[in-house]
Amino acid sequence: MRAARRAAQFAKFRITELNLVPLVDTLVSIVFFALTTATVGELSPVVPGVRLPEAHVGAAALQQLTLGVGPQVTLGGRPIMSTLDAARAPSNDATQPLLIPPLYAAMRVAADSIRQANKVAAGQPLDVPLAIQGDKSMRYDLLARMMQTARLAGFRNLSLQVSKQEGSVDSTAAATGAR
Amino acid sequence: MASLFHRSKQRRAERAPVTANGNINLVPLVDTLTSIVFFSLLTYQGETMMALTSFDLSLPPVVVTTPQQASQVKSEKDVLNLLLAVRVSNNELDVEHSGNGGFRQAIKGLDAPALGELQTLMTQIRAQYPQNKDVLVIPSDDVAYDNIIHVLERLRLAGYTGISLGTRARGGPASSGPAR
Repeated sequence: MRAARRAAQFAKFRITELNLVPLVDTLVSIVFFALTTATVGELSPVVPGVRLPEAHVGAAALQQLTLGVGPQVTLGGRPIMSTLDAARAPSNDATQPLLIPPLYAAMRVAADSIRQANKVAAGQPLDVPLAIQGDKSMRYDLLARMMQTARLAGFRNLSLQVSKQEGSVDSTAAATGAR
Repeated sequence: MASLFHRSKQRRAERAPVTANGNINLVPLVDTLTSIVFFSLLTYQGETMMALTSFDLSLPPVVVTTPQQASQVKSEKDVLNLLLAVRVSNNELDVEHSGNGGFRQAIKGLDAPALGELQTLMTQIRAQYPQNKDVLVIPSDDVAYDNIIHVLERLRLAGYTGISLGTRARGGPASSGPAR
């Protein structure tokens, strides 16, 4: 009698329906953020203050150690020196007239920390790419100095990141010519 | 204190199936989606990120000059079979290559028609020497970065994947870095 009453008492709390709505809500959130971070999270952001050139072609710009050349020269978002100072900085190595010493010092620190993390021997060139986001008005002699400095610091893979323009080159050229 | 009737009614309501009366409670879903939209709008940078494209730079091709170097060449693609260069100045594009005893053609200007002419010429050279995918771009010091990118873009469209950027020697060893 007592046992039967007890069984009836427990029967009240038996789960007969499972509410799946919170589970669905949570999964929707997870899927949304997983997709967002998988595609957008690996793409490279634009360095503030840099007016990038535009191009129709090129590979997707993934997030990399970025050298920004706007009013300031930045490496990985950290200001190194003003661009004017970088253009005027004389090399301290007679055999490397293009070298920019303060930028070289900052790049060496970055390269050494990457070597340490990737267990690469000191002095060995790095496979980790360095992205350059330069202002469209920058002269080539400054870009050449930046590239040479990066190469001497150990970065042998460089990429130039620019703004992607929609449409074809010909349609843009025709529109420009019509103006 | 709630009566036995009210408590049992409440329990019945709690245990009612989620699909009672043919309805699904969408309120939690709407709440979650509202949160997602809010935080997405707050933190969205995707458009500026998606708007970037890159020209990857690689090392320039190696010119083999000694038998020792030739023995180190592992595959045919490491061999430089055509020396092809595009010199860029503010008023002219010069295309030069070493095929057929040497070739040189100047294209006046750096505007859209000149770039179109460059693309056409480079496409022809690419068709003439299909094994060569490398080209060396040598801009003058005073050429704007914007113009260099336009030249690289046309070379990419012409089918070149190994595009190197070179610079003139300045009292020391010549430097070069490539673009792909």
